[in-house]
Amino acid sequence: MNMNLPGRLDALCGEYILGTLRGAARKRFERALREEPRVALQLGHWQSLFVPRYSPMIAIEPSPKIWQRLDREIGLAAWRTPWYRRAGFWRGWSAAATIALVLAIGVQTFKPAPQAPAMVAIAEMVGKPDGSHVAAHLSPDGRTLELHASRPVLAGPAQSYELWLIPAEGGAAISVAVLGSLDARFNVPTAQVGKLHKGAKLAVTVEPAGGSPHGVATGPVIMVGEINV
Amino acid sequence: MADDQELKKLLLRTAARDEGSAEAFERLYKLCAPTLLGVAQRIVRRRELAEEVLHDGFAAIWRSAATFSPFAAQPMAWMATIVRNRAIDVRTSHDVARVDSYHDTLDDDPDGALDRLLDWSPGADEGEDKRRSAQWVRNCLAELKGAERQALVLAYEHGMSHGDLAQHLRKPLGTVKSWVRRGLENLRTCVETCMGAAP
Repeated sequence: MNMNLPGRLDALCGEYILGTLRGAARKRFERALREEPRVALQLGHWQSLFVPRYSPMIAIEPSPKIWQRLDREIGLAAWRTPWYRRAGFWRGWSAAATIALVLAIGVQTFKPAPQAPAMVAIAEMVGKPDGSHVAAHLSPDGRTLELHASRPVLAGPAQSYELWLIPAEGGAAISVAVLGSLDARFNVPTAQVGKLHKGAKLAVTVEPAGGSPHGVATGPVIMVGEINV
Repeated sequence: MADDQELKKLLLRTAARDEGSAEAFERLYKLCAPTLLGVAQRIVRRRELAEEVLHDGFAAIWRSAATFSPFAAQPMAWMATIVRNRAIDVRTSHDVARVDSYHDTLDDDPDGALDRLLDWSPGADEGEDKRRSAQWVRNCLAELKGAERQALVLAYEHGMSHGDLAQHLRKPLGTVKSWVRRGLENLRTCVETCMGAAP
Protein backbone atom coordinates (compact mmCIF):
# COMPACT_ATOMS: atom_id res chain seq x y z
CA MET A 1 0.00 0.00 0.00
CA ASN A 2 1.34 3.38 -0.89
CA MET A 3 0.92 5.66 2.08
CA ASN A 4 2.71 8.52 0.38
CA LEU A 5 -0.17 9.38 -1.93
CA PRO A 6 -1.94 12.52 -0.74
CA GLY A 7 -4.74 11.67 1.67
CA ARG A 8 -3.94 7.94 1.63
CA LEU A 9 -2.50 7.76 5.14
CA ASP A 10 -5.49 9.66 6.54
CA ALA A 11 -7.92 7.37 4.72
CA LEU A 12 -6.16 4.33 6.21
CA CYS A 13 -6.16 5.79 9.73
CA GLY A 14 -9.87 6.54 9.48
CA GLU A 15 -10.80 3.13 8.15
CA TYR A 16 -8.60 1.46 10.77
CA ILE A 17 -10.44 3.25 13.59
CA LEU A 18 -13.81 2.58 11.95
CA GLY A 19 -12.97 -1.10 11.46
CA THR A 20 -13.43 -1.31 7.69
CA LEU A 21 -9.73 -1.91 7.06
CA ARG A 22 -9.58 -5.69 6.85
CA GLY A 23 -7.38 -8.73 6.39
CA ALA A 24 -4.01 -8.23 4.74
CA ALA A 25 -4.52 -4.48 4.44
CA ARG A 26 -5.03 -4.19 8.21
CA LYS A 27 -1.94 -6.34 8.89
CA ARG A 28 0.18 -4.15 6.60
CA PHE A 29 -1.13 -1.06 8.32
CA GLU A 30 -0.39 -2.49 11.77
CA ARG A 31 3.15 -3.34 10.70
CA ALA A 32 3.66 0.20 9.41
CA LEU A 33 2.26 1.42 12.72
CA ARG A 34 4.99 -0.41 14.60
CA GLU A 35 7.78 0.51 12.22
CA GLU A 36 7.03 4.01 11.00
CA PRO A 37 6.65 6.75 13.62
CA ARG A 38 4.74 9.04 11.22
CA VAL A 39 2.01 6.40 10.87
CA ALA A 40 1.71 6.07 14.66
CA LEU A 41 1.69 9.85 14.92
CA GLN A 42 -1.06 10.29 12.35
CA LEU A 43 -3.19 7.53 13.89
CA GLY A 44 -2.65 9.18 17.28
CA HIS A 45 -4.05 12.40 15.80
CA TRP A 46 -7.13 10.57 14.51
CA GLN A 47 -7.60 8.84 17.85
CA SER A 48 -7.40 12.16 19.65
CA LEU A 49 -10.26 13.47 17.49
CA PHE A 50 -12.51 10.48 18.18
CA VAL A 51 -12.18 9.23 21.72
CA PRO A 52 -14.97 6.71 22.27
CA ARG A 53 -16.70 6.77 25.59
CA TYR A 54 -19.00 3.83 25.73
CA SER A 55 -22.37 4.16 27.33
CA PRO A 56 -22.76 2.18 30.58
CA MET A 57 -25.97 0.87 28.97
CA ILE A 58 -24.06 -1.52 26.71
CA ALA A 59 -22.22 -3.33 29.53
CA ILE A 60 -22.87 -7.07 29.83
CA GLU A 61 -21.53 -8.99 32.83
CA PRO A 62 -19.27 -11.77 31.47
CA SER A 63 -19.56 -15.31 32.78
CA PRO A 64 -17.02 -15.96 35.59
CA LYS A 65 -15.62 -18.83 33.52
CA ILE A 66 -13.97 -16.37 31.12
CA TRP A 67 -11.77 -14.91 33.84
CA GLN A 68 -10.95 -18.33 35.30
CA ARG A 69 -9.80 -19.55 31.87
CA LEU A 70 -7.73 -16.41 31.24
CA ASP A 71 -6.13 -16.64 34.66
CA ARG A 72 -5.11 -20.24 34.00
CA GLU A 73 -4.04 -19.86 30.37
CA ILE A 74 -1.78 -16.85 30.77
CA GLY A 75 -0.32 -18.19 34.03
CA LEU A 76 -1.24 -15.19 36.14
CA ALA A 77 -0.28 -16.96 39.37
CA ALA A 78 3.38 -16.23 38.60
CA TRP A 79 2.70 -12.48 38.77
CA ARG A 80 0.69 -12.35 41.96
CA THR A 81 2.03 -10.69 45.09
CA PRO A 82 2.92 -13.46 47.57
CA TRP A 83 0.33 -13.68 50.31
CA TYR A 84 2.74 -12.64 53.06
CA ARG A 85 3.61 -9.37 51.30
CA ARG A 86 0.04 -8.27 50.69
CA ALA A 87 -0.80 -5.35 52.95
CA GLY A 88 -4.40 -6.51 53.18
CA PHE A 89 -3.34 -9.84 54.57
CA TRP A 90 -1.64 -8.30 57.57
CA ARG A 91 -4.38 -5.75 58.05
CA GLY A 92 -6.96 -8.49 57.89
CA TRP A 93 -5.13 -10.57 60.40
CA SER A 94 -7.01 -9.58 63.51
CA ALA A 95 -5.25 -9.24 66.82
CA ALA A 96 -7.50 -11.91 68.29
CA ALA A 97 -6.57 -14.41 65.61
CA THR A 98 -2.89 -13.65 66.09
CA ILE A 99 -3.09 -14.16 69.84
CA ALA A 100 -4.99 -17.40 69.40
CA LEU A 101 -2.41 -18.64 66.92
CA VAL A 102 0.54 -17.59 69.07
CA LEU A 103 -0.95 -19.34 72.11
CA ALA A 104 -1.70 -22.42 70.09
CA ILE A 105 1.68 -22.94 68.51
CA GLY A 106 3.84 -21.45 71.27
CA VAL A 107 5.63 -18.14 71.24
CA GLN A 108 9.09 -19.59 70.74
CA THR A 109 8.22 -21.21 67.44
CA PHE A 110 6.60 -18.14 65.93
CA LYS A 111 8.78 -16.38 63.40
CA PRO A 112 7.37 -13.62 61.21
CA ALA A 113 7.61 -14.05 57.45
CA PRO A 114 10.50 -12.14 55.87
CA GLN A 115 9.63 -8.60 54.83
CA ALA A 116 10.94 -6.91 51.66
CA PRO A 117 14.11 -5.10 52.76
CA ALA A 118 13.91 -1.29 52.88
CA MET A 119 15.34 0.54 49.88
CA VAL A 120 17.97 3.26 50.39
CA ALA A 121 17.77 6.60 48.58
CA ILE A 122 21.09 6.98 46.74
CA ALA A 123 20.59 9.80 44.24
CA GLU A 124 18.24 12.48 43.04
CA MET A 125 18.31 13.12 39.30
CA VAL A 126 17.10 16.50 38.10
CA GLY A 127 15.59 17.03 34.64
CA LYS A 128 17.57 19.42 32.44
CA PRO A 129 14.76 21.17 30.60
CA ASP A 130 12.10 21.38 33.29
CA GLY A 131 13.62 20.65 36.69
CA SER A 132 11.53 17.49 37.27
CA HIS A 133 12.95 15.03 39.81
CA VAL A 134 13.57 11.31 39.75
CA ALA A 135 14.72 9.64 42.95
CA ALA A 136 16.85 6.49 42.75
CA HIS A 137 16.63 3.89 45.55
CA LEU A 138 18.90 0.90 45.89
CA SER A 139 18.23 -2.31 47.80
CA PRO A 140 20.73 -3.05 50.63
CA ASP A 141 22.24 -5.92 48.60
CA GLY A 142 22.85 -3.51 45.68
CA ARG A 143 20.97 -5.72 43.23
CA THR A 144 17.67 -3.91 42.79
CA LEU A 145 17.21 -0.31 41.73
CA GLU A 146 13.97 1.65 41.92
CA LEU A 147 13.21 4.96 40.23
CA HIS A 148 10.43 7.26 41.40
CA ALA A 149 9.54 10.24 39.22
CA SER A 150 8.03 13.37 40.76
CA ARG A 151 5.61 13.42 37.83
CA PRO A 152 4.97 10.66 35.23
CA VAL A 153 7.76 10.54 32.64
CA LEU A 154 6.95 8.09 29.86
CA ALA A 155 8.73 7.42 26.59
CA GLY A 156 6.88 7.89 23.30
CA PRO A 157 6.09 4.91 21.06
CA ALA A 158 9.36 5.13 19.15
CA GLN A 159 11.58 5.93 22.13
CA SER A 160 13.04 4.41 25.24
CA TYR A 161 14.83 5.94 28.16
CA GLU A 162 18.24 4.54 28.98
CA LEU A 163 19.79 4.83 32.41
CA TRP A 164 23.58 5.17 32.50
CA LEU A 165 26.15 4.90 35.25
CA ILE A 166 29.04 7.36 34.97
CA PRO A 167 31.76 5.85 37.17
CA ALA A 168 33.37 8.04 39.87
CA GLU A 169 36.81 7.14 38.56
CA GLY A 170 35.93 8.36 35.06
CA GLY A 171 35.62 6.33 31.89
CA ALA A 172 32.75 5.56 29.58
CA ALA A 173 29.14 5.58 30.76
CA ILE A 174 27.78 2.09 31.37
CA SER A 175 24.23 1.16 30.44
CA VAL A 176 22.19 0.07 33.47
CA ALA A 177 18.67 -0.27 32.09
CA VAL A 178 16.39 0.52 29.16
CA LEU A 179 13.06 1.85 30.37
CA GLY A 180 9.67 2.92 29.07
CA SER A 181 8.90 4.93 32.18
CA LEU A 182 10.97 6.63 34.85
CA ASP A 183 8.86 4.95 37.50
CA ALA A 184 10.45 1.55 37.48
CA ARG A 185 11.97 -1.25 39.52
CA PHE A 186 14.56 -3.54 37.98
CA ASN A 187 17.61 -5.67 38.65
CA VAL A 188 21.03 -4.03 38.41
CA PRO A 189 23.14 -5.92 35.80
CA THR A 190 25.46 -8.28 37.69
CA ALA A 191 28.61 -6.55 36.36
CA GLN A 192 27.40 -3.23 37.77
CA VAL A 193 26.47 -4.46 41.26
CA GLY A 194 28.67 -2.61 43.75
CA LYS A 195 29.52 0.19 41.32
CA LEU A 196 26.60 2.39 42.33
CA HIS A 197 28.49 4.24 45.06
CA LYS A 198 29.35 7.77 46.18
CA GLY A 199 30.84 10.01 43.51
CA ALA A 200 29.43 8.07 40.56
CA LYS A 201 26.59 9.67 38.60
CA LEU A 202 23.35 8.42 37.13
CA ALA A 203 22.08 9.91 33.88
CA VAL A 204 19.12 9.30 31.60
CA THR A 205 19.20 9.71 27.81
CA VAL A 206 16.46 9.43 25.20
CA GLU A 207 17.22 6.59 22.80
CA PRO A 208 15.44 4.77 19.98
CA ALA A 209 12.89 2.20 21.20
CA GLY A 210 14.76 -0.70 22.78
CA GLY A 211 17.74 1.43 23.83
CA SER A 212 20.94 2.62 22.21
CA PRO A 213 21.93 0.18 19.44
CA HIS A 214 25.67 0.48 20.11
CA GLY A 215 25.91 0.52 23.90
CA VAL A 216 26.90 4.18 23.72
CA ALA A 217 24.47 6.98 24.49
CA THR A 218 23.20 8.54 21.26
CA GLY A 219 20.37 10.79 22.42
CA PRO A 220 20.21 13.89 24.59
CA VAL A 221 20.82 13.62 28.34
CA ILE A 222 17.57 14.64 30.00
CA MET A 223 18.49 13.99 33.62
CA VAL A 224 21.54 13.62 35.75
CA GLY A 225 22.29 13.24 39.45
CA GLU A 226 25.20 12.27 41.68
CA ILE A 227 25.12 9.25 43.93
CA ASN A 228 25.57 10.52 47.48
CA VAL A 229 25.65 7.31 49.53
CA MET B 1 -16.63 3.52 34.69
CA ALA B 2 -13.08 4.00 35.86
CA ASP B 3 -11.26 7.17 34.93
CA ASP B 4 -8.47 7.23 32.37
CA GLN B 5 -5.76 7.82 34.94
CA GLU B 6 -6.62 4.66 36.83
CA LEU B 7 -6.80 2.58 33.64
CA LYS B 8 -3.42 3.94 32.52
CA LYS B 9 -1.84 3.02 35.84
CA LEU B 10 -3.33 -0.47 35.69
CA LEU B 11 -2.08 -1.03 32.13
CA LEU B 12 1.43 0.17 33.02
CA ARG B 13 1.47 -2.06 36.08
CA THR B 14 0.28 -4.99 33.95
CA ALA B 15 3.10 -4.28 31.50
CA ALA B 16 5.71 -4.11 34.31
CA ARG B 17 5.45 -7.91 34.84
CA ASP B 18 6.37 -7.71 38.48
CA GLU B 19 4.67 -8.64 41.70
CA GLY B 20 1.26 -7.05 41.57
CA SER B 21 0.91 -7.26 37.77
CA ALA B 22 -1.69 -9.99 38.15
CA GLU B 23 -3.75 -7.92 40.57
CA ALA B 24 -3.56 -4.89 38.26
CA PHE B 25 -4.67 -6.98 35.28
CA GLU B 26 -7.51 -8.53 37.26
CA ARG B 27 -8.76 -5.09 38.29
CA LEU B 28 -8.48 -3.88 34.69
CA TYR B 29 -10.60 -6.85 33.63
CA LYS B 30 -13.22 -6.20 36.32
CA LEU B 31 -13.50 -2.55 35.30
CA CYS B 32 -13.51 -2.95 31.53
CA ALA B 33 -14.68 -6.45 30.61
CA PRO B 34 -18.45 -5.71 30.85
CA THR B 35 -18.20 -2.72 28.49
CA LEU B 36 -15.89 -4.52 26.08
CA LEU B 37 -18.20 -7.54 26.08
CA GLY B 38 -21.01 -5.17 25.08
CA VAL B 39 -18.83 -3.81 22.26
CA ALA B 40 -18.05 -7.35 21.04
CA GLN B 41 -21.67 -8.50 21.32
CA ARG B 42 -22.81 -5.75 18.92
CA ILE B 43 -20.33 -6.97 16.33
CA VAL B 44 -20.58 -10.77 16.59
CA ARG B 45 -24.25 -10.84 17.72
CA ARG B 46 -23.95 -14.11 19.64
CA ARG B 47 -23.15 -14.27 23.33
CA GLU B 48 -20.84 -17.30 23.16
CA LEU B 49 -18.84 -15.75 20.32
CA ALA B 50 -18.68 -12.43 22.16
CA GLU B 51 -17.26 -14.16 25.26
CA GLU B 52 -14.69 -15.92 23.09
CA VAL B 53 -13.71 -12.51 21.68
CA LEU B 54 -13.48 -11.07 25.19
CA HIS B 55 -11.20 -13.90 26.28
CA ASP B 56 -8.92 -13.55 23.23
CA GLY B 57 -8.97 -9.76 23.51
CA PHE B 58 -7.85 -9.76 27.14
CA ALA B 59 -5.18 -12.38 26.43
CA ALA B 60 -3.88 -9.98 23.74
CA ILE B 61 -4.10 -7.02 26.15
CA TRP B 62 -1.98 -8.97 28.66
CA ARG B 63 0.57 -9.91 25.99
CA SER B 64 0.88 -6.49 24.41
CA ALA B 65 0.41 -4.21 27.43
CA ALA B 66 4.06 -3.14 27.07
CA THR B 67 3.25 -1.55 23.70
CA PHE B 68 0.62 0.73 25.25
CA SER B 69 1.90 4.28 25.21
CA PRO B 70 0.03 6.52 27.65
CA PHE B 71 0.99 9.62 25.67
CA ALA B 72 -0.20 8.29 22.34
CA ALA B 73 -3.40 6.54 23.31
CA GLN B 74 -6.43 6.66 25.59
CA PRO B 75 -6.49 3.40 27.54
CA MET B 76 -10.10 2.48 26.81
CA ALA B 77 -9.71 3.32 23.11
CA TRP B 78 -6.54 1.20 22.97
CA MET B 79 -8.23 -1.82 24.54
CA ALA B 80 -11.39 -1.35 22.48
CA THR B 81 -9.31 -1.41 19.28
CA ILE B 82 -7.88 -4.80 20.25
CA VAL B 83 -11.30 -6.23 21.14
CA ARG B 84 -13.04 -4.72 18.10
CA ASN B 85 -10.42 -6.04 15.68
CA ARG B 86 -10.73 -9.50 17.19
CA ALA B 87 -14.54 -9.28 17.02
CA ILE B 88 -14.37 -8.19 13.39
CA ASP B 89 -12.19 -11.20 12.53
CA VAL B 90 -14.62 -13.56 14.28
CA ARG B 91 -17.56 -11.85 12.59
CA THR B 92 -15.96 -12.47 9.20
CA SER B 93 -15.04 -16.08 9.88
CA HIS B 94 -18.50 -16.95 11.28
CA ASP B 95 -20.41 -15.17 8.54
CA VAL B 96 -22.29 -13.08 11.07
CA ALA B 97 -23.36 -10.73 8.25
CA ARG B 98 -25.89 -13.35 7.16
CA VAL B 99 -27.42 -13.33 10.63
CA ASP B 100 -27.53 -9.53 10.48
CA SER B 101 -29.56 -9.60 7.30
CA TYR B 102 -32.46 -10.98 9.34
CA HIS B 103 -32.30 -8.00 11.64
CA ASP B 104 -33.85 -5.34 9.47
CA THR B 105 -34.18 -3.02 12.43
CA LEU B 106 -30.41 -2.53 12.62
CA ASP B 107 -30.36 0.55 10.45
CA ASP B 108 -33.69 2.12 11.20
CA ASP B 109 -32.24 4.83 13.37
CA PRO B 110 -28.48 5.41 13.18
CA ASP B 111 -28.58 8.37 15.56
CA GLY B 112 -30.44 6.38 18.19
CA ALA B 113 -28.03 3.45 17.73
CA LEU B 114 -25.05 5.67 18.31
CA ASP B 115 -26.62 7.24 21.36
CA ARG B 116 -27.12 3.80 22.83
CA LEU B 117 -23.52 2.81 22.10
CA LEU B 118 -21.71 5.96 23.15
CA ASP B 119 -22.13 8.22 26.11
CA TRP B 120 -22.01 11.85 25.01
CA SER B 121 -22.85 13.39 28.34
CA PRO B 122 -20.04 15.06 30.27
CA GLY B 123 -18.36 12.72 32.74
CA ALA B 124 -17.57 13.84 36.25
CA ASP B 125 -13.87 13.13 35.73
CA GLU B 126 -13.57 14.99 32.47
CA GLY B 127 -12.09 18.34 31.66
CA GLU B 128 -13.64 20.95 29.43
CA ASP B 129 -11.60 19.78 26.42
CA LYS B 130 -12.91 16.26 26.38
CA ARG B 131 -16.46 17.35 26.92
CA ARG B 132 -16.30 19.78 24.04
CA SER B 133 -14.61 17.31 21.74
CA ALA B 134 -17.35 14.69 22.33
CA GLN B 135 -19.94 17.34 21.51
CA TRP B 136 -18.09 18.32 18.32
CA VAL B 137 -18.06 14.71 17.11
CA ARG B 138 -21.79 14.46 17.85
CA ASN B 139 -22.57 17.70 15.98
CA CYS B 140 -20.29 16.87 13.06
CA LEU B 141 -21.91 13.45 12.64
CA ALA B 142 -25.28 15.18 12.49
CA GLU B 143 -23.99 17.41 9.70
CA LEU B 144 -22.98 14.48 7.47
CA LYS B 145 -25.22 13.37 4.65
CA GLY B 146 -27.68 10.72 5.84
CA ALA B 147 -26.11 7.90 3.79
CA GLU B 148 -22.60 8.70 4.95
CA ARG B 149 -23.68 8.84 8.58
CA GLN B 150 -25.57 5.57 8.33
CA ALA B 151 -22.60 3.79 6.74
CA LEU B 152 -20.20 5.03 9.44
CA VAL B 153 -22.52 4.14 12.30
CA LEU B 154 -23.23 0.63 10.99
CA ALA B 155 -19.54 -0.02 10.38
CA TYR B 156 -18.55 1.31 13.80
CA GLU B 157 -21.26 -0.26 15.91
CA HIS B 158 -21.65 -3.61 14.16
CA GLY B 159 -18.20 -3.99 12.61
CA MET B 160 -19.67 -4.22 9.12
CA SER B 161 -17.25 -4.49 6.21
CA HIS B 162 -17.74 -2.63 2.94
CA GLY B 163 -19.28 -5.83 1.56
CA ASP B 164 -21.66 -6.19 4.53
CA LEU B 165 -22.70 -2.57 4.12
CA ALA B 166 -23.35 -2.99 0.39
CA GLN B 167 -25.50 -6.05 1.04
CA HIS B 168 -27.30 -4.55 3.99
CA LEU B 169 -28.03 -1.22 2.34
CA ARG B 170 -28.62 -2.83 -1.06
CA LYS B 171 -26.22 -0.52 -2.85
CA PRO B 172 -23.20 -1.20 -5.12
CA LEU B 173 -19.91 -1.81 -3.33
CA GLY B 174 -18.29 1.25 -4.94
CA THR B 175 -21.08 3.47 -3.64
CA VAL B 176 -20.77 2.40 -0.01
CA LYS B 177 -16.97 2.59 -0.20
CA SER B 178 -17.19 6.20 -1.26
CA TRP B 179 -19.79 6.95 1.44
CA VAL B 180 -17.38 5.59 4.05
CA ARG B 181 -14.40 7.42 2.59
CA ARG B 182 -16.17 10.75 2.20
CA GLY B 183 -17.96 10.38 5.54
CA LEU B 184 -14.66 9.87 7.38
CA GLU B 185 -12.99 12.76 5.57
CA ASN B 186 -15.90 15.14 6.17
CA LEU B 187 -16.17 14.11 9.80
CA ARG B 188 -12.47 14.66 10.39
CA THR B 189 -12.43 18.05 8.64
CA CYS B 190 -15.45 19.16 10.64
CA VAL B 191 -13.99 18.11 14.03
CA GLU B 192 -10.63 19.68 13.18
CA THR B 193 -12.36 22.91 12.20
CA CYS B 194 -14.26 22.93 15.50
CA MET B 195 -10.97 22.43 17.35
CA GLY B 196 -9.18 25.12 15.37
CA ALA B 197 -12.07 27.54 15.68
CA ALA B 198 -12.49 26.95 19.41
CA PRO B 199 -11.19 29.76 21.59
